[in-house]
Amino acid sequence: MTPVLRTHKLSKAFYGIAAVKEVDFTVGAGEVVGLIGQNGAGKSTLMNLIGGVVQPDSGKMAYQGQPYAPRSPADATRSRIAFIHQELNLFTNLSIAENIFIEGFPTIGRGPFRLIDRAAVRRHTREVLETVGLDLSPDMPVDRLSPGERQLVEIAKALYLDASLIIFDEPTTSLTTRETEKLFEIMRRLRDQGKALVYISHILTDVLAISDQIAVMRDGQLVTQAPTSTFDVNRMISLMVGRSIESLYPKRTTAPSATPLLELRGISAKGIVENIHLEVHQGEVVGLFGLMGSGRTELARMLFGLDAFERGEIVINGQVLHRTSPRSSIRHRIAFVTENRREEGLLMNINIADNIALVALPTFASPLTQIIHQADLLAAAHHLAGQLQLKSGNIAAQAAKALSGGNQQKVVILKWLLSQPSVFIMDEPTRGIDVGAKYEIYSIIDQLAASGSGILFISSELEELMGMCDRIVVMSRGEVVASFPRAQFDAESILRAAFREMNGQNSQNSHPHPTHTPVGHFSAALKGEHES
Amino acid sequence: MSTIEERLTPSENLSLVVPVAGAARRSRNSLTAFIRRLLLSDYFVLYLVLIFFAVASVFFPSLSAPGNISNQISNVWPLLAVAVGQTFVLILGGIDLSVGSTMAITSVVGALLITTTLDAPTFDKSPLWGTFIGPQGGLLSGHPNAVLIGVAVMLALGTLIGLLNGFAIARFRMAPFMVTLVSMIFFSALALWMTASRNVSGLPPEFVLLGKGDIISVYLGPKTAATIPRREILPLITYPFVIAVGLAIVAQFILSRTVFGRQMFAIGTNRRTAKVSGIANDRVVILVYAFSGFCAAVSAILYSARLEIGRPSLGDGLLMDIIGAAVIGGTSLMGGKGSIRGTFFGVVFFTLLLNILNAMRLSPFVIDAVKGVVILIAALLDITRTRLSNREVRA
Amino acid sequence: MSVLRQSTKPTTTGRTNFAQVLLNNSTIVLFVAVFVIFGLSSPRIFEGNTLIESVLNIAKQASFTGIIAVGMTFVLLTAGIDLSVGSNMYLSSVVAGLLMRYQGFDVIPALIVALLVGTLFGAFNAFCIVKLRIVPFMVTLGTLVVGRGIGTALTESKQIDFPRQMLDFGLISILGIPMPIIAFGLVTVVTFVILTRTPIGRQVYALGNDVEVAKKAGIDADRVTALVYIVSGFCAALAGFILIAQIGRLDRSFAEGKEFDAIAAAVLGGTSLFGGVGNVLGTVVGALLIQMVQYMLQFNNVNLYIQPMVRAAIIFMAVFFDSLRESNLTRLKRRFIRPIEN
Repeated sequence: MTPVLRTHKLSKAFYGIAAVKEVDFTVGAGEVVGLIGQNGAGKSTLMNLIGGVVQPDSGKMAYQGQPYAPRSPADATRSRIAFIHQELNLFTNLSIAENIFIEGFPTIGRGPFRLIDRAAVRRHTREVLETVGLDLSPDMPVDRLSPGERQLVEIAKALYLDASLIIFDEPTTSLTTRETEKLFEIMRRLRDQGKALVYISHILTDVLAISDQIAVMRDGQLVTQAPTSTFDVNRMISLMVGRSIESLYPKRTTAPSATPLLELRGISAKGIVENIHLEVHQGEVVGLFGLMGSGRTELARMLFGLDAFERGEIVINGQVLHRTSPRSSIRHRIAFVTENRREEGLLMNINIADNIALVALPTFASPLTQIIHQADLLAAAHHLAGQLQLKSGNIAAQAAKALSGGNQQKVVILKWLLSQPSVFIMDEPTRGIDVGAKYEIYSIIDQLAASGSGILFISSELEELMGMCDRIVVMSRGEVVASFPRAQFDAESILRAAFREMNGQNSQNSHPHPTHTPVGHFSAALKGEHES
Repeated sequence: MSTIEERLTPSENLSLVVPVAGAARRSRNSLTAFIRRLLLSDYFVLYLVLIFFAVASVFFPSLSAPGNISNQISNVWPLLAVAVGQTFVLILGGIDLSVGSTMAITSVVGALLITTTLDAPTFDKSPLWGTFIGPQGGLLSGHPNAVLIGVAVMLALGTLIGLLNGFAIARFRMAPFMVTLVSMIFFSALALWMTASRNVSGLPPEFVLLGKGDIISVYLGPKTAATIPRREILPLITYPFVIAVGLAIVAQFILSRTVFGRQMFAIGTNRRTAKVSGIANDRVVILVYAFSGFCAAVSAILYSARLEIGRPSLGDGLLMDIIGAAVIGGTSLMGGKGSIRGTFFGVVFFTLLLNILNAMRLSPFVIDAVKGVVILIAALLDITRTRLSNREVRA
Repeated sequence: MSVLRQSTKPTTTGRTNFAQVLLNNSTIVLFVAVFVIFGLSSPRIFEGNTLIESVLNIAKQASFTGIIAVGMTFVLLTAGIDLSVGSNMYLSSVVAGLLMRYQGFDVIPALIVALLVGTLFGAFNAFCIVKLRIVPFMVTLGTLVVGRGIGTALTESKQIDFPRQMLDFGLISILGIPMPIIAFGLVTVVTFVILTRTPIGRQVYALGNDVEVAKKAGIDADRVTALVYIVSGFCAALAGFILIAQIGRLDRSFAEGKEFDAIAAAVLGGTSLFGGVGNVLGTVVGALLIQMVQYMLQFNNVNLYIQPMVRAAIIFMAVFFDSLRESNLTRLKRRFIRPIEN
């Protein structure tokens, strides 16, 4: 099989943390390579390197035998590599045809007076839409298409490019079963035409069905690449999980109490989450695990009041919340450390002390005049910063953007700590942070639990959840699919649940049977006893 | 728990933890460091003003005459008042184009209320003739507390206009530029309509005092005659000074010492973070625009009192001066940055600039052009300063 | 690309409702409403030739703002703004006028010069925005002031009286249709073709929809941005010249505030200040609408002072609807992680 793309010792690190480590990856003509791995394993970074979105720190790439080093996505496109992203790159105010041809319209006429050859555009668009099985008018505006249809248009764009290498990044997240089958037909056809395809997906059975080879990534390295015939789901999962976990986590000092601080009852929003039941007790660290796009952040935002939900209730400290908003959540002593500290967690250009003061500010001011007791505030901030071992210059003068990622995250946590919440929602709190700082954050989480707070720890890193949590709840495609108490933590089982590979059965449908696995009963389901 | 040092991997990008203010310490002995420190200094504009003044006085000696200086200083106060409000709006990341017309309408409404006498042939075209105004003046004509009530009404009206602006911007999510543009057109036209384009005179002397009255004044010069001509008496502390500076002090206090001020900066820096952190974005926005309207009304009082008329064209063309003063003073048009002190220096700068340009006897449009260039330079300077301070720190 | 806008809801959520249709086509709705009100409030418009005269009058008056508004549409589509069009009109007319008056230039050469000046003005804006990376608001605010200043300096603040040929040019009419209307029509047709039928025109829409995605797709954002400001400058110069041909004399405050009229017409016509939405035909309707309201007020002898207030109210409504539309759009753009269909 002639290799179309080959990487040699490709490496890339962000802020000192290796995302891709010396990867030798090969894709041949006329084959589909399935790329699997946990979140953070390096799949996206590897694809971004190939797609020209980022540049490698070291290593080489060869495309069709020639050295290949794209400086931008446009370079990759020019080399006829099509990258179909998870987030669609479509213009919602233009038609399907215009989206496909926006950088290369067929034209009539010459010089500056060239007009778009609409007949040719329509004809080509219809052809290409046919190959993806979309029976739509080329002039239909993209904003009228369903997410599945948009995904197919995105694929049509790649096909029109007549690419020799097509990378599919999680293409089926918003597709129905029927649309997924259509996609596979198209992929098989392309493969038979001699194209090279890379298929990244969390749906392991799909990967088994469509790929000729499977490549597994773990911790930035390519663990193995072998023919699909040598794989089954179990092997795939074990390879993704790897060896036993090192002791990178502080010992948990307390056990959770039975008092529930936060309860979610039947939270639903069409197309996003479905019938979520969740509890967080005093002194408990509840991990919320799931693959990218499983709905955890969406749920957290609904919980905190940033987004609305349609059905269900939120109960905090026994009180049902009728109106959710960030202010009301704060009033009920809920804290939310968001997953994007730069966009929603920090005021980057403002000094650290003011950042720390942001939420608790009213409590440090005279109720009538609203004058801030600056000295008290600064003292409290210093004290807390010291407790969390924040490494910074003068917090009253230095801007937040000057800090390292780990310290920035600490500032966000400090901000919430100052307001003394009882429930902490933390969304990917250790993302983009080095090992040392991670440990410190874990210690903080333990301390918070020890002092009686309840923590909802959302993460895509299974190891850290297993190291820190009392209980892990697994979400997939907007639903809670499983819950594991600490005694039953087992990486493979949890991962299997996240991939919806319970009992080796493929539950790819959006409504698996049974529709609701009650919390705590998953172990029974594992043993083959279903509750219908 | 192992030590911090052990756990840090060697490849981590440690931040160069350097406080912005002390950045110059690194390269102590170079000219570039000096310039950098100068540019980043809070008093940059003040230095600029002083240098500017010194140089200009050489070419136009009339500038340094005490009479001129005191005249220019008295030009500062009304401009400062309205610029304070605009600074608040800019810190929030918005803009208020309607301050000029708010000044016009409050000036007119106030004047029409308290005027003691109106000329029939001039004002009988006004739609208010016969009902709200007449030959004997306005509704409060002759009333013992006319000025007090009139001022209160003016302030209330300005605040109300600001509230309306803020509401449309916060609740309806309309662009501040467009909303305040609409207000500008509307209230400007309303002011002209109410007065049939005429200036309203006949204002009671207690009101005029607010714009011109001296509290303490000095006389520089020999005492040659029994009475000193009015011209020679220089006001030192005047009513407008107290009012404008008082407003500025209160505003600066709010900005730097209260919860509200911090929330303003937060919203102007990053709305989303502010929202997640529990700040009531809408409420702050509405109040800030209301304050801008209030400041415009204060400015209108000062101008109207000084000119001794209610003027429907008040504030025309002042927008450039106001925004220019704020931007020069370090307030960023992008939001999240600004100070009243900076605005004060900016206002002084602009007043001085105008003084010089007038001394050069340039046409008003050329003067406008120069102002435009100055603002552009100020904007460029702002971007440069931001880039400089960004390079001092590394994430 | 029709003026009437389709529903923006994805097909999965069912039929579009009436309110949505109304919102998306608010301009036409307003136009019809105003027309009806006009007809009802002044029945004598239907007497004799008054209707034809009125229509021609409205169209002619609307032409001047309309031409700039059409140019402004290009800029607004990229989520930019051009505050300098009024000063551009003034400056280009000044240069043309000086050449006609003191160098004996004839009408057509002077027109060409004016267009050249306007285009260069727009190119200067483009340069500052694209190369110096200053935000459009600041740049065009600056050139607004500087442009007028230069113009005033050139004329030494004196008024320019244009020679006889200019006024004759202004009075030209073909088949009974006055020249401004013809110019407006031509400009509309050309810009319509550019925006709907040329690659770069479609790229304007793409850029306004999502700058990042546009760059990823390989679109030369700088080139497209430069184009829109140059088009705006060209249109401003054209409008200025044609307007002067009607008036015959150019004074210092010519075309002051025209930029806001242009923006109002465009926004009223459905162009969004947020970019990516709008079209030339809608802008034409918007310009006609504003003019129709003005005419109606004048026709009914409404107080001159009230007119700007009515105009302000109309602009407010246009922007209000635009914001409403935008909030609707953001709501519908939420990412779905489960299929909505079952």
